[in-house]
Amino acid sequence: MLFAWMLIIAFLAFIACMFEDLESDIGSQSNPNSQIQLAPEMGYIHRYFNKAISGEGLSYALSCTISGTIAMLILLQLESVGPKAAILAIPVGAAVGSLVHMVRSSVCHVGREAAHKRFEQPIYLDVLYGHLLPIATHNFLAVICITAIAYIQSNLGILSGVAGASNPFPLPLLCLIWGLTVGAIGSSTGDIHYGTERAFQDKPFGEGRRVVYHGQICRYADCGVRTSKDVAAFCAKFGGPATGLAFGLIVLFENWRTVIGMTLGGVAGPGWNPSLAAAWGIGIGIVIAVVLVILARAIEKWARNKYGPFVGE
Amino acid sequence: MIEALLLVLVCIIIGGLLSSLAVHLMPVGGAPAAMSTATGIATGCVMLMTGAAVTGLFTASTVASFWVTKPNVILVALSGAVGSMLMMGFTMFVGNLIYIFGAGIVPCSGRVAVDPITKDSQTEYKTPRTDGHGVPTASFVSGILGGFSGGFGGALIYVVLVSDSYAHFSVATAGIVAMGIFIANAIIAAYNIGGTIEGFHDPKFKARIRTGLTCSLIVSVLCGVIIVIAMLTGTLAGGVM
Amino acid sequence: MGEEEVKQEEKEEKAKPKEKFKISFDYFNESRLGIFALIIGILVAIFPGLPAFIKAIGMMIVFVWGADSVRKTARYGLGTGVPSIGVLAMGFGIIGGITGIAVASMSFGTLVVGGVEIAFGVLAGVALLALLGFVSGNLANGDKFINMKIPGLERGMTELGIAGTLVVLIETSIITGTYAITSVLPNVINNGVIAVIFIISAFAMLQPLNTCLGADERRGRTLLMSIEIGGIASIILGLVTALTLSAVQGVPLIVLGAVIWVVFYRAYMKACMKEAYAVKGTGLIKTLGG
Repeated sequence: MLFAWMLIIAFLAFIACMFEDLESDIGSQSNPNSQIQLAPEMGYIHRYFNKAISGEGLSYALSCTISGTIAMLILLQLESVGPKAAILAIPVGAAVGSLVHMVRSSVCHVGREAAHKRFEQPIYLDVLYGHLLPIATHNFLAVICITAIAYIQSNLGILSGVAGASNPFPLPLLCLIWGLTVGAIGSSTGDIHYGTERAFQDKPFGEGRRVVYHGQICRYADCGVRTSKDVAAFCAKFGGPATGLAFGLIVLFENWRTVIGMTLGGVAGPGWNPSLAAAWGIGIGIVIAVVLVILARAIEKWARNKYGPFVGE
Repeated sequence: MIEALLLVLVCIIIGGLLSSLAVHLMPVGGAPAAMSTATGIATGCVMLMTGAAVTGLFTASTVASFWVTKPNVILVALSGAVGSMLMMGFTMFVGNLIYIFGAGIVPCSGRVAVDPITKDSQTEYKTPRTDGHGVPTASFVSGILGGFSGGFGGALIYVVLVSDSYAHFSVATAGIVAMGIFIANAIIAAYNIGGTIEGFHDPKFKARIRTGLTCSLIVSVLCGVIIVIAMLTGTLAGGVM
Repeated sequence: MGEEEVKQEEKEEKAKPKEKFKISFDYFNESRLGIFALIIGILVAIFPGLPAFIKAIGMMIVFVWGADSVRKTARYGLGTGVPSIGVLAMGFGIIGGITGIAVASMSFGTLVVGGVEIAFGVLAGVALLALLGFVSGNLANGDKFINMKIPGLERGMTELGIAGTLVVLIETSIITGTYAITSVLPNVINNGVIAVIFIISAFAMLQPLNTCLGADERRGRTLLMSIEIGGIASIILGLVTALTLSAVQGVPLIVLGAVIWVVFYRAYMKACMKEAYAVKGTGLIKTLGG
């Protein structure tokens, strides 16, 4: 049972981080936002959505923590119903969380574009209204998955029947933790696909974007003028799933090594040896890290051989 | 009692110093890295380090609850360290996957001509007028070490605060206070870096690490003293493990 | 943008006809706002017996102060983005708040004068964090240390330390109505409400500047948003209070939060729309050189 729940958590983590990345691409949050912000100053008036709530980590921590708090309050009210109350509590919490997120992103767009007055960047109302719903829906999916992960982890002992498997942190604190992490991963991996590739699609492929290109974002779509909604469709091909993979793998291996350690330490039985369990978990983790370094080196070597040195100017 | 207080103070200082060191070891490229204009992970150090540290904190809290009383400090802190290390490792690995397969970019360092670990030459792979791109092996190893040290620091503060032989705060108090101390140290260190850094091989690392650690020492001593005052009141103790 | 320039701009604003809802921050320049918010914040923090909605107003004033301090320090560019300084404020705030509550729940930490509880103990947390903030500011700005060369960073970090601590204290006293640790631990910390306190207060301080950042950022507009987030914070704290403590305290808080949110959201949106270069229903972009 423990392993089954662990796989559910990893699956939810995959979905959560994928939607987190796509949501941040729809609003051009976090790092690529610097380009969207710079573009009007270079004379590149655009129709992107400028969602500068804060770094992704914090903005996801906000919506997930609010979701977790609301879910916790509902669970407290429905304590007599038992674990079934989560079916109501988690979606309602996530809905409130994504509502707050939507409100926060609406103020961002107008705030940043109004601050671009001297560069003649207008506020396009269709851009403002048209993006809010996609932002809210993508955010809802990410937040509901994170809240569900936090709920499962804080009640794992009851759900799986293995005493002591639950995480001791309360639900909102777990939501804060996973919200911060999902945002940090979403911004550090997913943004590369958007910032390097999608925002500069008219620049040469296969090279770093030079400083002189900064601000000269690609403003036209296949047909007409590009908005941020077009970005999500592109990044859903590679950037989003890869980001989801990163978070899914982290959650999977984090829980996996702990659970393996617990099993080897004699799960909740008379022979329960906490030091052995912890030590096994640490050992497995170090092995995974070493494998990762080797894999990273291999893929770097492959890229160096395959792509070769920089050609061109 | 006095021993426990001193130990908590010392552990908070060590934790703070380690988290500051961790931020200096991170290969962070900030916003330019998302445009492949700088080497490193494409986000700010504070966000990345906090994300890594709380992942470690999560594992540390699970492992600390293995023991009914008196958790083993070193083992719990190591679990946290490995948690952060894995988080950093997967993030950098998938980041590299996107650099290589999504944008066709070879990871290479912009600050050094030769990778100090693999001895690969970097200059000819670098796009002109950028500051490097991707996460090369030296930065990768540096990031793994940074994750380890940051996770160890964060989890160490957590475990001494939660352990019933030391501060004996409640789980949630210990978690959020550990986060607070960690964040204060990480942000001071991030200001010291001032933007981007590639890892231990970056010349910036050698130039700035001493200042960073001094500042972190002062901030951690103050944080530790404040927490010890909170402990001395005796009202927070007696939390449930 | 220098302080004079800001004042100049705000004077120009004053001459124009105003919206009905528009709140002006002209009188409250940075120093006056700081002193006012400090006094109000401390008064609200040491009387945990006040009704929750009065404490919520105090909380919003402290939010505005925090946002103003973030604006003051972060507009010169920090190197790691605006959000870091807001999170720093709340990292300080959590440490100080918990210490303050711990001191206040000791026997000498709280005086009862004529049936009114006065929690002097929380001031210990505030004072310690003022010291920590001042030291951090000096470290960050000192020539021998990090040398960030940001004017007023020492003062800004001190203010952020105080503001963060006051916010944590006020929000805790909103939810529990007292600083007694037997009530704070189960109702605020152990059920994880501290996490939402942490993150939403950080947002009230860091988001205004981060969102309004740009060449034509204006202080009056930026600070409106801080109060707007204060409204959202009141609604959420009101929900928590209503469900864990009593509906008598919680419901007025929710109503106050909702009213404040609607008023200030409208005021902020109107201000932005009015001050933007143009507001278009839709349209194509201006091509280069055309």
